[in-house]
Amino acid sequence: MASASIPVYNRSNNPLENSSSQNASRESLKMEPLAVTLLPGEERVIDKDIMYICPFSGPVKGKVFITNYRLYFKSADADPSVTLNVPLGAIGRVEKMGGASSRGENSYGLDITCKDMRNLRFALKQEGHSRRDIFDILFRYAFPLSHGLLLFAYLSQEKYEENGWSVYKPMEEFRRQGLPTDKWRITFINDNYELCDTYPTILVVPFKATEEDLRKVSTFRSRGRIPVLSWIHRENQAVICRCSQPLVGMSGKRNKDDERYLDVIREANGTAKLTIYDARPSVNAVANKATGGGYEGDDTYQNAELVFLDIHNIHVMRESLKKLKDIVYPNVEESHWLSSLESTHWLEHIKLVLSGAIQVADKISGGNSVVVHCSDGWDRTAQLTSLAMLMLDSHYRTLRGFQVLLEKEWISFGHKFASRIGHGDKNHADQDRSPIFVQFIDCVWQMTKQFPTAFEFNERLLMTILDHLFSCRFGTFLYNCESARDTNEVRSKTVSLWSLVNSDSTSYLNPFYTPESSRVLYPVASMRHLELWVTYYIRWNPRIRQQQQSPVEQRYMELLALRDEYLKKLEELQLTDSSPNSSHLSNSSASNAASPTQHINHLHTPF
Amino acid sequence: MEFSEHIKTANVEDVVLRRPFHPPMQGTLCVTGHHLLFSNRDGDSSRLVLLLLRNIDAIEKRPSVSSGTITLKCKDLCVLQLDIPGMEECLNIARSIEYLSSLDIVSDMYPFFYRPLKLSLQDQWGLSSPEQNYAQMEELQDRWRLSHVNKDYSVCPSYPPAVIVPHSIDDETLVKVAKFRQGGRFPVLCYYHRKNGMVIMRSSQPLTGANRKRCREDELLLQAVIDGSGLGYIIDTRSNQQAQQARMTGGGFESKSSYSCWKRLHRQLERGKVLQESLIKLVEACGDHSHSVDRWLSKLENSKWLSHVHTALATAGLLAECVERDGHSVLVHGSEGTDATLLVSSLAQLILDPNTRTLDGFLGLLEREWLLAGHPFQHRCAHSAYSHARLRLEAPVFVLLLDCVWQLARQFPLAMGFSEPLLLRLAREVYASDYGTFLCNSDQERCAAGVKERTHCLFQFLLKPSEREHYSNPLYEPTELAIWPSIQPQSLQLWRGLFLRWTQHAVHLEKAQEELRNLVIECRGAS
Repeated sequence: MASASIPVYNRSNNPLENSSSQNASRESLKMEPLAVTLLPGEERVIDKDIMYICPFSGPVKGKVFITNYRLYFKSADADPSVTLNVPLGAIGRVEKMGGASSRGENSYGLDITCKDMRNLRFALKQEGHSRRDIFDILFRYAFPLSHGLLLFAYLSQEKYEENGWSVYKPMEEFRRQGLPTDKWRITFINDNYELCDTYPTILVVPFKATEEDLRKVSTFRSRGRIPVLSWIHRENQAVICRCSQPLVGMSGKRNKDDERYLDVIREANGTAKLTIYDARPSVNAVANKATGGGYEGDDTYQNAELVFLDIHNIHVMRESLKKLKDIVYPNVEESHWLSSLESTHWLEHIKLVLSGAIQVADKISGGNSVVVHCSDGWDRTAQLTSLAMLMLDSHYRTLRGFQVLLEKEWISFGHKFASRIGHGDKNHADQDRSPIFVQFIDCVWQMTKQFPTAFEFNERLLMTILDHLFSCRFGTFLYNCESARDTNEVRSKTVSLWSLVNSDSTSYLNPFYTPESSRVLYPVASMRHLELWVTYYIRWNPRIRQQQQSPVEQRYMELLALRDEYLKKLEELQLTDSSPNSSHLSNSSASNAASPTQHINHLHTPF
Repeated sequence: MEFSEHIKTANVEDVVLRRPFHPPMQGTLCVTGHHLLFSNRDGDSSRLVLLLLRNIDAIEKRPSVSSGTITLKCKDLCVLQLDIPGMEECLNIARSIEYLSSLDIVSDMYPFFYRPLKLSLQDQWGLSSPEQNYAQMEELQDRWRLSHVNKDYSVCPSYPPAVIVPHSIDDETLVKVAKFRQGGRFPVLCYYHRKNGMVIMRSSQPLTGANRKRCREDELLLQAVIDGSGLGYIIDTRSNQQAQQARMTGGGFESKSSYSCWKRLHRQLERGKVLQESLIKLVEACGDHSHSVDRWLSKLENSKWLSHVHTALATAGLLAECVERDGHSVLVHGSEGTDATLLVSSLAQLILDPNTRTLDGFLGLLEREWLLAGHPFQHRCAHSAYSHARLRLEAPVFVLLLDCVWQLARQFPLAMGFSEPLLLRLAREVYASDYGTFLCNSDQERCAAGVKERTHCLFQFLLKPSEREHYSNPLYEPTELAIWPSIQPQSLQLWRGLFLRWTQHAVHLEKAQEELRNLVIECRGAS
């Protein structure tokens, strides 16, 4: 694979790149002339002649197909052809553009805002309410929950060799960490979600704390989210605990049980002073007292020190990403790119999240236990604990381990995916929506950039995760918490994203991965070292496309293949005299990734 | 010259050295004619730190009663600190450094004293000669000839003794053309595009002056370049306005009326002081380690460094596009033709010509287009970004070239046969070196100073088997295609490897690069 040349100077863009480069579509959708391979369970709803107003190459005549899963557009005669392939889940807002009496070319049609950093505009003929049916159908199927319909994940009939729902088994994960110990025990107190309805059923708590203690503490923590163990350092037994804010309120209430409970956490490995990381800016923490929340005061929690990490709330992050979208789509700000980028503050927020996580990881490495919380303990807290764990524990840097990390810290501990993303919900202005998880994945990407050999997975995995964060094709990111997932039988009725990933794991491996078990990764969280994730945020713009890591990976894979071939030959030759020397294979990342590729029977529906 | 008269204090004990990535170290500091030598004996093991004085760009001293601190800011952007006991000693050492780090006489410089065992002065100096270059390009020989009109450097002091010109133009004509071009830099061929026979020429500005003087021979020469193909492009690296203004001081441009077959395109590339100040601002921003919410991106933008990278790549892209896509020959020049001109012509060659993208080919390109073509290295690289000295002729044009090449390599990670460490090494060597390669301002000066007889050649050294591996791209896969860089601001990145070289981040990445190299080598070794 040579580095192909890409034309850039005053040339018309290559519309091939306009087609959605989603992995989701690539593997399941093969384009024959006007034929789309549908997913099992995917059904066609409507198709229509339409004009796609491409922001990069102007209006393109073609046909749009809408299924219960996606919007698909194919140009009629543009050369080269233009295609769009958008899961309906990625659509955030559908609006009518212009009216029956609007003048001007292409002024009548649909305006679609997507959650994945792009907007789509289609124009139709003005005669005969031509857009009414397509608008209604799009509106229904893009927002099924607002119309009493099922999310596509419940309709999908996809079958995979691997079952992604078995990736995360809490007991197994805790055992891997060396739990329980004589200081930490596993409790089933939340088996019926009675202690805390947004927590998982299995929790790890201090050995010394009784079930009664836990119940008492839960009354003093917002939504009952008591401090529980997320991760323990094998050697020094320092722990990361997570929780929500204490219910201190305006009057400065105290709770002896909560104070004692935190002290028990401190004692467990002989930490002199427990560090409590409050992710919020201190002003916000103070302001939260007005609504009954607050933070741990110095005078009440004597053996604890409180550190504010100055990370802003979901509303600030939402606005920041919105600003970023404004400067990258459809047209990229050119003349003052860097200062425009700065004014979105997106990278600054990334920096604060990363440096917060570094502080947590550093404390733990130093042998001190920490407690992390924000207000509810399901947004910033999840970012901090999971990033710190990624720095501390190389297991989470493997393909499987990363899935476990997400399942554990994000999904099971109740990051409100449904509210933050708004799956299937038409209310695009919902103030609960926020790209907290996208921001976290961005932080992970920053780490992979700074440590190119430390992660077993590649950028494609991160992109795939973000694509299916919105797509609603898999059950993985649906609902706000475990109790809701149980009620809705997610595990029995939908497919896990990890089924897709693990059935084709070679595509998601970083060929340069060199396992190093004991290394703690401290990324540099300075603005100088953070980069905008151009390949994600600006991927729709054909002019920005640049040579990515992929040719390098591909080249390296070729070399690996060559080597394997050689080793095989060598083995054959040596069969008679000595056993083959397999030491070369031992640290090859490709060798342990030889999982057979799954073949799915596609339904071919000619449009 | 006797260096010792400038060394009042040659040795100081119990000096503390602080430098990036290392804990403070106590030991003996020693000043020699060309080096600072710091050694520390810790039990049986002794460690030695050697710093070429030429590498020191700025020195700040803070003497106090009984001791003093000297901060050394180096041209490779490293900052070191020495705590010296004794105020007298501190001041003496500072004075020695100040003097010895800015020697003016070429033959006093270290390359004339550097005599490593593994190298011999009898080794070949330089990679290739104009004669050899010409001989290798058989396909152009029917239309182009090698002229020795400049064999004693009398026609153009900054050109090499032999240059390639159209066959039909005789030496007599060249002499006349040289008089019409600033510094005698008449148009010469620097690249021949095999695919379509089009060429890149470079020169300095024509001396048309206020009264629009013409030169028949100059017009004839350019006519001979496009002979038969109809139209040529002139890329002027100044804005139209700057070109117009140049006429007031005797310079000018090729007017439409006199050069009817040539179409002029103006692209303004900054040079000289503007470029140097941009580098200074950039390095200042990079070195500002206040961890408060700094406005890093604004500072980066304000330094304008990346917009210089952008303009250089965009102009080179335009040039390459004229040659490859539109099929026209191009003449590129600005005013003197020794800076932006070389930048654009060499980048265009990297875009078009796969031969320049190998390790040997790239160094060959630098030799042809920068050393022999007369980029005034000594003037441009006298000081780097830290110096407090009044700016004279300094300008980081070569560093800008390396940055642009890095951007290319980043966008086409397989297309280049050489690695980032090579670019970093060159960025360092160009300012302070053991080798004679970047000394002087032209081939003529190098010959006069005996550089080729009395110093070692960096390029020859880098191509030795022992070095080659380190400076090669392990993933290199040659491509015959042109590599068109994306020049969107989002596609251009700060060259952290150079400008943030002395931060922890660079260490991570260097380690990763090393791992990667080992992986590939291991893999190659098996297959």
